[in-house]
Amino acid sequence: MLGFELTLAARELSKRKLRTFLTTAAITLGTLVIFGMNILLPTMLKAFQANLLMASGQVDLTVTLKTGEAFSRSTLTRVRRVPGVSAVSGILSRTINIPDKFYGKTNVAALTLTGIDPSAAQTLRTYTIVGGRFLRSDDPQAAVITQSLADQLGLQVGDKLKVPTTDGAFSFKVVGLLPARTLPGNEEVLITLTQAQKLLDLPDRINTVEANLDTTDPARRQVILDQVAADLGKDYTLGGMSAGSEIMSSLQTGQIAFNLFGFLSLFMGGFIILNTFRTIVAERRHDIGMLRAIGASRRTILSLILVEGLVQGVIGTAIGIGLGYLLGAGIVYLETGLMAQYIHIQMGQPVVTLELLVVTACLGVGVTVLAGLLPALAATRVTPLEALRPPVADAGQRIGRRSFVVGVVFLVLGIAGFAVGGIKLAALGCLAFLIGLILVAPTLVRPIASVFSVLIGLIFAREGTGTIAQSNLVRQPSRAAITASSTMIGLAIIVGMGGLVFSITGGFLDVLQRSLGSDYLVMPPSVGLWKSNVGARSDLADRLRNVPGVAVVSSLRYASASGNGQDVALLGINPTDYARVASLTFQQGDGPTAYAALSAGRGLIANGIFTAQAALKLGDEVQLSTPTGVKPYTVVGIAGDYLNAKISTAYISQASLQADFRKTEDVFIQLNLAPEADPAQVEPRLKDILADYPQFSLVSGRGYVEQNQKIFDAVFGFLFVLLGVLTMPSLIALLNTLAIGVIERTREIGMLRAIGSTRRQVRRMVIAEALLLAALGTALGLLAGLYLGYVMVLGMSVGGYPIHYVFPFAGLVAATAIGLLFGVLAAIIPARQAAHMDIIRALQYE
Amino acid sequence: MSLIEVENLTKVYGAGETAVTALSEVTLRVEVGEFVAIMGPSGCGKSTLLHLMGGLDRPSSGEVVIDGEKLSRLSDEALTRLRRRKIGFVFQFFNLIPVLTATENAALPVTLDGVKPAQAKAQARVWLEKVGLGKRLDSRPDQLSGGQQQRVAVARALVADPKLILADEPTGNLDTRASEEVVGLLRQAADDWQRAVVMVTHDPRIAAYADRILFLRDGVLVEEMHLDQGQTGSADRVMDTMRQLA
Repeated sequence: MLGFELTLAARELSKRKLRTFLTTAAITLGTLVIFGMNILLPTMLKAFQANLLMASGQVDLTVTLKTGEAFSRSTLTRVRRVPGVSAVSGILSRTINIPDKFYGKTNVAALTLTGIDPSAAQTLRTYTIVGGRFLRSDDPQAAVITQSLADQLGLQVGDKLKVPTTDGAFSFKVVGLLPARTLPGNEEVLITLTQAQKLLDLPDRINTVEANLDTTDPARRQVILDQVAADLGKDYTLGGMSAGSEIMSSLQTGQIAFNLFGFLSLFMGGFIILNTFRTIVAERRHDIGMLRAIGASRRTILSLILVEGLVQGVIGTAIGIGLGYLLGAGIVYLETGLMAQYIHIQMGQPVVTLELLVVTACLGVGVTVLAGLLPALAATRVTPLEALRPPVADAGQRIGRRSFVVGVVFLVLGIAGFAVGGIKLAALGCLAFLIGLILVAPTLVRPIASVFSVLIGLIFAREGTGTIAQSNLVRQPSRAAITASSTMIGLAIIVGMGGLVFSITGGFLDVLQRSLGSDYLVMPPSVGLWKSNVGARSDLADRLRNVPGVAVVSSLRYASASGNGQDVALLGINPTDYARVASLTFQQGDGPTAYAALSAGRGLIANGIFTAQAALKLGDEVQLSTPTGVKPYTVVGIAGDYLNAKISTAYISQASLQADFRKTEDVFIQLNLAPEADPAQVEPRLKDILADYPQFSLVSGRGYVEQNQKIFDAVFGFLFVLLGVLTMPSLIALLNTLAIGVIERTREIGMLRAIGSTRRQVRRMVIAEALLLAALGTALGLLAGLYLGYVMVLGMSVGGYPIHYVFPFAGLVAATAIGLLFGVLAAIIPARQAAHMDIIRALQYE
Repeated sequence: MSLIEVENLTKVYGAGETAVTALSEVTLRVEVGEFVAIMGPSGCGKSTLLHLMGGLDRPSSGEVVIDGEKLSRLSDEALTRLRRRKIGFVFQFFNLIPVLTATENAALPVTLDGVKPAQAKAQARVWLEKVGLGKRLDSRPDQLSGGQQQRVAVARALVADPKLILADEPTGNLDTRASEEVVGLLRQAADDWQRAVVMVTHDPRIAAYADRILFLRDGVLVEEMHLDQGQTGSADRVMDTMRQLA
């Protein structure tokens, strides 16, 4: 029996190829995004996890400070004293970002410089030497590297290896080679601990304790670990490394965002299916009535329609899954090279779980069948008598009053949520507003269509096309409304994101100017990733300060800490000098008072993210964990700068940073010239000095601001392209509705042509209808998008990125243009079809 | 017992002041192998009567009994099954499914009844041969003339071996020659294949093919005429009666 339904479905689908293609494409797009992104992101997560597991699996126990900072060697002794600990070794290890072209043509993004105590380290691990010898304690100039790094740089035992350090570039002599690195992560350069402490400007400090235990009994091991934890206190982390978790969480955020976009596309796909099937049922009332008359049961009719939906759902989903796999696997393939080069992570094969396959298939097919269900149920209510009535096109459709009333209630709730404020209420309000718009849309079709048809009438003067187009639209208000709703969702995303982007760029560019407005910037390889940048001892700043023509030099120093239990990056500034080259953007408190308070003692200026995370306000006391114990700091201002806008950050004085964190390394330097100084003379001198410090590059402040603006534009440009792709379903919906309208009115179009309409007039009629439909969707989309954007900006503020809502005029203009462009694009094929219709055949069309 | 027994059949549309009586207290019988035509001016209730006899609509009062089954007692599903197995329909607008071939269209009632596709098509082919379309088995409706399409519809009406054929203006959309072919087939259905045929028409020449003509006016059965198929001039008699009723 199902065979018959399948045959009929296949024939009907192949009869209306364009419609079938468009409807199926809608489903394909949704499943493609969901499937592709869910292959890509877990593959990356898996690579990171494998990386971390392998890296931490070598010794029984590692001890690090929760903040990742260096600590005193005494901790080593405390671990050694715990009964059951058999061997310990202290390590000072640090990721060093390598500037571009540092090693000539060979690009090495980063190295891990690891200082070890050669004898102690060998009690914990076995180092296999494949060439030369291992390190000795009296070897300050020696380094041991892997065969793979040696091959990469073309080095042999006895050659020199240059590495950027706080003392400037330092050349090591390669004394031995370890086997090629097979683990993910950076290549390691082993040197002696004392030399590492000297080069990294961290005398007598280590940042990891490695230890082995005297037992393999799990219960006994746990006892020992608990004892170590108890002895060291809560500032230390035992066991595996936590690094990289930040990347993992941002990957997970990305996955959620893309899933959301995927669901939205599928949602729009559902709308399209619903529209198509309503039309199919309307078109075939006669056939359905006949089938009922000659003995088809209601269930047969239901399954006839549903099977047709199922066929499209299955095909669309299968293609979507196939293309999604290509998308995901393609990106994995492209990224494999990058990941291996920059972070030495092997990506592995794309991860396709059975679960993902099943969930995607269920979503794709489920949405199709679900969307087809309402029209299918309507089809079962077609009476056999329909077959006996002569076919007359519906002159109009009644609109349900109930959905309008419910829609208005939702709109009121939405506006209330907006008025009351607060992110949660506003987000719920936004959702209610969207639902409300979708529900009232059918009722709005008539008034909006008549307003816009006046405009269109002006454009296509006196041909009556505007009026016909308007009445065609009003004839099927709920179909028009469903189509408009899908345009609305698409455009709402654009307007919403536009609002967010304009708010961000408006605010950020201002902060950028203030933060980096100095004449020159001495920049490390990566800004913001302070932990892995190698800085310079304070004598670099002194040398720069002594260059004639330099008026003021100010530096940033860095330490990581936790404040009130939240991780925070601490930046040490010189309060007097900093204010002369740059300024923080204050939300609470003011510059002079805050800088004075920093100079006076343990004062702290928190940025927005840290303020939100640690729930701070002006005057609060923050307990900062330092390598020398917990210290109380007072919040003297809430302010941020450009460089640290995305990172939980607090600013303290360099004096405090030195006293509590033992850090004196400059990671970023800004300088201003004297008013009378000639940059052409000063700049070469600055460059001379910096030649010894290859990790730094000299950039003009204005150049940097401009460069950043360009990056901003590029990133947001990409984002808009992505959003553009996600609005494709709304284009498909428009095209679909117009094509359906033309097919449905074949006879009428034939009549119009017969009584003297030109092809041009018929074409214009369809275009006018498209523009009306697009205008409706755009009008709703703008409303919904403004609300969406406001909610997103509000959400950012709550998340610690305080930005002011900027009304996105340009976004509105762009969305309107896109909406109307979609209208015209969507009309091309159906308008052609209508205009080139054979009159006689059209008149005979059933 | 007759194949069709219609007792005091009444159909009222609407209620209260706007109520319209489409059919009033109609009683009739149709025997196996008999060809009955129903005539009358527009709006006299002839189509309503046909719909009620075919179980496509429910009467306000009265009863239709087909082959011993009282339609009023049947559920929607049982009524559907009865239409599928005991009644064949021929419509004015042919109502073929555009995407199916002649064979597939003709096979629909048996296909819907769960007969295997191969067997259903074989049955359909037999009937298409009988109605003279043996050479157009795989044609789609849009490749057939109106007369040919209606012949496919006749084959479809006969394929499930129903005892009753109901035809609603089967020649309403056809030219004279095609009309005669189609009504000739209905005549054959009664004579050769022993079906009861009930046909609504307003064309006296087509009605003249029947054994008996029932005349309706304002929903009431007003006249009954018996015809002898051997005689000539039947069409003129029918026309006279129509004129008197008008």
